[in-house]
Amino acid sequence: MLEDAGFTDVQIGPPVDTFAGATGEEKAHAYEVFGYAFLARKPERD
Amino acid sequence: MTEDLVVDVETLREQVREKYREVAVAPHAEYHFHAGRPLARKLGYDAAVVDALPDPAVESFAGVGNPFSLRTIVPGERVVDVGSGAGFDSFVAAAFVGADGRVVGIDMTAAMLAKSRSTATQMGHTHVEFREGFAEALPVEDGWADVVISNGVINLCADKRAVFGELNRVLRPGGILQFADIANGRPVPPEALRDIDLWTG
Repeated sequence: MLEDAGFTDVQIGPPVDTFAGATGEEKAHAYEVFGYAFLARKPERD
Repeated sequence: MTEDLVVDVETLREQVREKYREVAVAPHAEYHFHAGRPLARKLGYDAAVVDALPDPAVESFAGVGNPFSLRTIVPGERVVDVGSGAGFDSFVAAAFVGADGRVVGIDMTAAMLAKSRSTATQMGHTHVEFREGFAEALPVEDGWADVVISNGVINLCADKRAVFGELNRVLRPGGILQFADIANGRPVPPEALRDIDLWTG
């Protein structure tokens, strides 16, 4: 979706088990939900 | 591109507003996610920057990752924080950009905006401001931002194509989008996607 919106050079960081130890952990793990950092660039020219 | 939305935009917004109003006024209550300084430590934020922030800037933080982990903000940059909440990531960005930079946080929840504006005043920050608005219609002029940040917000928006279009619009050519959000490794059943309670926890 990032590239569909015109972004390039997309990077994704490692998964973070952001819900571990919280009450949402069970539901998050059921769907393998993790937090990620994303980095992308808008091209100099469209 | 609204034909494939699986939930009603306004209904979802109202539920998200209510959830995050609670986080603004009762930050130490139990939620389905972590919050505050323990969460900032867990996500690897710069401890020196976070420790320097007053409690109101941190206690309602409910992000899902660290948008500064893949790239550091550069002094003098102009930053837009989409879904700024009580302002935590905006204040972290403000520390990085310094007095020559600017940070504009945007949120749709009145209680969060009141809290972030009060904290900015308390901190004497004149290079940080908070505006009311939606991620799908950012109150920022075209090409203003060097950097757009966000944390755990895009997953709460029904029309993600519209959001990414707005992020692109407000960035200057060559600008950087750095954000954190959740993603699922297993497909979520269609009936669950239509269950609006699951979007907010």
